[in-house]
Amino acid sequence: MEKKTIAIYINDKPYRVEPEQTIMQAADKLGFHIPRLCYHPKLSIEGACRVCIVQVEGVKNYVASCAYPVSDGMKIHTNTQEIRRARRDIVELILDNHPEDCHTCERDGNCELQRLAYSMGIRKRHFEGEKKNYDKDLSSPAVVRDPDKCILCGRCVRICSEIQKVNALRQAYRGFKTVVMPAYNMPFTESVCTTCGQCINVCPTASFVEKNYTQELFEKLSDKSLIKVAQVAPSVRAAIGEAFGIPPGTAKEKETAAALKRMGFDYVFDTQFSADLTIMEEASEFLERLQGKGKLPMITSCSSAWMKCMEQFYPDLIDNISTCKSPMSMMGSLLKTYFPEKIKTAPGKIFSVAVMCCTAKKYEAQRPELKINGLNGVDIVVTTREAAWMIKSAGIDFLNIKGEEFDHPLGLSSGAGAIFGTTGGVMEAAIRTAYELYTGETLLDIEVNDLRGLKGIKEGKLVMDGKEVRVAVAHGLGNACDLLDIVRKEPDKYHFIEIMGCPGGCVGGGGQPYADANSIPLDEDCLRLRAKALYDLDRSRTIRRSHENPDIQRVYKEFLGRPLSEISHKILHTHYSKKEPKGIIPRGLVRAR
Amino acid sequence: MVKPLDIIRKKRAEAINRIVGKGYLSTKRVYVGMATCEIAAGSKKVMEVFKEAVNKGLTDVYLSQKGCAGRCNLEPTVEVIEEGKIPVKYGKINEERAREIIEKHLKGGKTIEEWIIK
Amino acid sequence: MGKNKKKKEFVITLCDGTACIHNGSKEIKSGIEKQLEKHGISESVRIILSGCLGMCDKGPVLIVNPGYTIYGRVTEKDIPEIIESHIIGGKAVSRLVIDEDHLYNRFFRVFGDVGFFGRQMRITLRNCGIIDPENIDDYISLRGYEAIAKVLSDMKPGEVIEEVKHSGLRGRGGAGFPTGLKWEFTAGQKSDEKYVICNADEGDPGAFMDRSAIEGDPHTVIEGMIIGGYAVGSSKGIIYIRAEYPLAIKRLEKAIKDSRRNGFLGENIFGSDFSFDIEIRLGAGAFVCGEETALIHSIEGSRGMPRPRPPYPSVNGLFGKPTLINNVETWANIPVIILDGADWFRKVGTEKSKGTKVFALAGKVKNTGLVEVPMGTTLREIIFDIGGGIENGKKFKAVQTGGPSGGCLPEKYLDTPIDYESLAKAGSIMGSGGMIVIDEDSCMVGIAKFFLEFTQNESCGKCTPCREGTKRMLEILTRITEGKGEEGDVEKLERLGNLIKKASLCGLGQSAPNPVLSTILNFREEYEEHIKDKKCRAGECRSLIGYEINSKCVGCGACKRVCPVGAISGTPKNPHFIDKAKCVKCGQCYEVCKFGAIDKK
Repeated sequence: MEKKTIAIYINDKPYRVEPEQTIMQAADKLGFHIPRLCYHPKLSIEGACRVCIVQVEGVKNYVASCAYPVSDGMKIHTNTQEIRRARRDIVELILDNHPEDCHTCERDGNCELQRLAYSMGIRKRHFEGEKKNYDKDLSSPAVVRDPDKCILCGRCVRICSEIQKVNALRQAYRGFKTVVMPAYNMPFTESVCTTCGQCINVCPTASFVEKNYTQELFEKLSDKSLIKVAQVAPSVRAAIGEAFGIPPGTAKEKETAAALKRMGFDYVFDTQFSADLTIMEEASEFLERLQGKGKLPMITSCSSAWMKCMEQFYPDLIDNISTCKSPMSMMGSLLKTYFPEKIKTAPGKIFSVAVMCCTAKKYEAQRPELKINGLNGVDIVVTTREAAWMIKSAGIDFLNIKGEEFDHPLGLSSGAGAIFGTTGGVMEAAIRTAYELYTGETLLDIEVNDLRGLKGIKEGKLVMDGKEVRVAVAHGLGNACDLLDIVRKEPDKYHFIEIMGCPGGCVGGGGQPYADANSIPLDEDCLRLRAKALYDLDRSRTIRRSHENPDIQRVYKEFLGRPLSEISHKILHTHYSKKEPKGIIPRGLVRAR
Repeated sequence: MVKPLDIIRKKRAEAINRIVGKGYLSTKRVYVGMATCEIAAGSKKVMEVFKEAVNKGLTDVYLSQKGCAGRCNLEPTVEVIEEGKIPVKYGKINEERAREIIEKHLKGGKTIEEWIIK
Repeated sequence: MGKNKKKKEFVITLCDGTACIHNGSKEIKSGIEKQLEKHGISESVRIILSGCLGMCDKGPVLIVNPGYTIYGRVTEKDIPEIIESHIIGGKAVSRLVIDEDHLYNRFFRVFGDVGFFGRQMRITLRNCGIIDPENIDDYISLRGYEAIAKVLSDMKPGEVIEEVKHSGLRGRGGAGFPTGLKWEFTAGQKSDEKYVICNADEGDPGAFMDRSAIEGDPHTVIEGMIIGGYAVGSSKGIIYIRAEYPLAIKRLEKAIKDSRRNGFLGENIFGSDFSFDIEIRLGAGAFVCGEETALIHSIEGSRGMPRPRPPYPSVNGLFGKPTLINNVETWANIPVIILDGADWFRKVGTEKSKGTKVFALAGKVKNTGLVEVPMGTTLREIIFDIGGGIENGKKFKAVQTGGPSGGCLPEKYLDTPIDYESLAKAGSIMGSGGMIVIDEDSCMVGIAKFFLEFTQNESCGKCTPCREGTKRMLEILTRITEGKGEEGDVEKLERLGNLIKKASLCGLGQSAPNPVLSTILNFREEYEEHIKDKKCRAGECRSLIGYEINSKCVGCGACKRVCPVGAISGTPKNPHFIDKAKCVKCGQCYEVCKFGAIDKK
């Protein structure tokens, strides 16, 4: 049956559109891009910025096109002089209360407000006056909050409550004094913030940015007394190209390794290697639990934001969490034990840097329980964005650089390690290895399509020697919470659960390159393309199962012994504990919108 | 089912009985304004004066409170109602004036013209 | 009667509504006066002109008190008989007596002889000042809970909605949306759960209509809500009231308890299969929570911020369920509409605005207080006839209607009949019913600034125009009142004001510029004077005034003694002098001078 359509007029021209959509949605499909700011397709309609206003004949006031539904015969005007001026004045009002420091701002060049101001044609100010003046919150090791740059679009508040369901942020005070803050205006680091960094991703300005360690890192890179070692997370290579204008979906693996070496690192290792290591440990741990030693379902522990989320909101499930450290921290552990032994140097000489898609890894790196013989496994974490900036700042021609391999002995990885960077990847990789460890047979059909894609909660089943194993995957803390609410009710429903804190998994991490001028942050197509880049890498590898990685086998032979050995437990496993910051909203009281 | 209208009629008869039982049919009914605004203007003390008088044997007076009728700048207000006469509304009543109302009006039967709201 | 007659024994209330005037009430008034004079009893009978008494089809109407005898269809010829038989002889003229038993009559039995009240028409406040609000028997004795009994006995939910629609009642919270339609929309939604909310979050500075209504007669609101719950198919009512109203809350709590005990609330009301109960939620005093979507968020436990509509609460309201929200005054009308009938209710008011409206009359007017008058009453009647005119013989300058986001209307609007449309046309709003009278001593720029300061402080901060725009307007107004106004400032105020009005998310922002825009429209010259001549004609803007001692000074030294900064010099019995450089313009010298020797310029 043909879909019902209605007639609308935009700027006096007739169009037929589907009913039950907003003016903005209808206009988008017809090629009218109404300017917008607080709108985000993944979030609830805020209607706050009023930039997307249009005129509708017969309606006294301007209407926010993001919120107002089309109706039959509606006559819409998107571009009259009157509405242009109204929009311009609104954007000027935002600018008038915004620091004029574009040149020195981190978001210079990819700031949505800047673009908007340009397209509005604001060349003169009419209403300038007092500007807000707050201190930056630098307390968190991962996320910096700068209320002065906040334009109160509410995207951070919404992503934190609606997508992540953490509810760390809310508007406070009234009128001109309105400001976004954590509960009780606590320092960020003491709040419920999980440091996932999604607020950074969606912030149109630089009100949220990662804690920047680039200067400190440049400093260390020039310190000749140190051995500078980098590791690179899987999803960094899937997205770093975007920071250099390369369309999403192209993996820049060897280029990244080459660039980091040129920047001054003595060794560039691959977090995908330690991802393989994680699989060895985690799959073994799962099989132990499956045999009655420990609680089921077992829940993965790779995602740092997810770990803090769990400690705060689901401490009752701590025993279900895998004791495995994340791949980054496993690498860190090896870098302060196995590796210095191998190159015959003191562990303290190793300066360990992680290039991550993630802001929460900055927080993870500082967790005291992850220390190795008193040393941090990872000394500095920089995000994809910071790394890209450093490459540019160091004058390295990333676009034309010749790729190089990661270094031995911690640089070789399987395809299973690569797909760690996308939702479902850890589970898929674990299945590949667990199946073989359990049955003694090699799993042939290794691509688990049920676990791929951007559905919030994905489920899968596999049969190992006649035993049915039920698995589930959630990405984004909100979906994770929904899944765990199921687990609380039905503890036997699943055996194994993968959880990633960010939408799309690590490819959608809080440290990934900002969206370019023509796209929206966390655009699903972009996330799919980044994931595809990793799946392509997996397919291009000859070794696609973690346990087949010869360097992994060597580490076990030379150093660890076997998975879950005593030394493994000492350096590759950890524990978690209940955290009770102020401002936890009980799950039952949070209303989904 | 008994009709709700019949129920409420019965309840009304009962309510009126209870009110009458409290002395509603007394010669004089005195109402003291006891809304927030009236209280802020001092009506609680005025009420105390009337209560005390009733307790001390001021007979044939039905004392009650009421909400604010809305005559702000003349609060606290006190109404004295006698059957067959125009109800008397006093404005700006304090303790002293309340005592005078008790003496002159309630006991003596003479209204105090200058305090009457017109 | 003789010579020892008591003074002012009778009060004759004569309906002065439009219909009655049309039918000759003016002639009747002079007729009565003549008769009284003839009998020499003018002293003992007071005549009060009232607003419409709602008995238009039986007009002209006059009421004789005590006794509350209502005469209808009175002609001039009937006057001598009424005077001789009733006033002198004490015997009512039974052929003219009409039987009009309306709920509001009781109020007039008690208060009808007072000019301030006699000219009003009390429908929603009918029991305020009449009953003991803490005694449910008082309410029941005045036909309380009869309306819900009637509804449950004889009316289907659809019939209740039809009755409310037919009454023409419109929301008294400010916007004036037809109440019946709102009910119909909510009733039309299919949902397992629906909510009925009473908005008692009265936040306007100087407004106390809702508080007085609840404190004076809490059961009316409760009964209205029960009827609303029955009509739309809801079993859960919530009264959202600000925590700053402890007495109102206490009385509501008691009323709800008493109502439950009598079976008016709770399971199977009056033995029917309709169940409904009410709980109270307290607001923290944010003005914006009077906006319905913000109010809903607040009840849900979120920050009180409005959201875009549609969807309206009638479709997607509290906890995502269809929700019927009306304010206190609207609810208080419902039992009256049910018992006295929509046909009767419709007779009161104007063509598009039916019934009465309560105003909180305040400012520079002699009689401040609560005024409930039929829609269509003029501002002049309210301010001068009921309010008694301006205090201290000053000149009327403007009246600000609709609370902090209403407009200031000058003298030329005094004869405008008030309803939703006429006020909007004049550049103001009905709002929730604030009415502040301004006299010649007030600076209109200062007034605009005062109100805008309030709305800027109370803006929820969500949408740009309201949050940022009102701040900029406030800055401009501040500099104008400080003598730093610039050419073009008025135009900037207009540009921002119109933007905020048309682009803001909710009613708060959409009406916030009204005080500024309306004062620019009606008092533009005052703005110009402030900016160009650096003058404030009302002498209120401190930066723009100065004090000087004129030749009337006798050298008493009072001003010198009172000056806090020692700016006044002079020797006893000689003219004194103010050092303008030192003067902080506190005005204490001006106040203390007994000789008019200090000029404020």
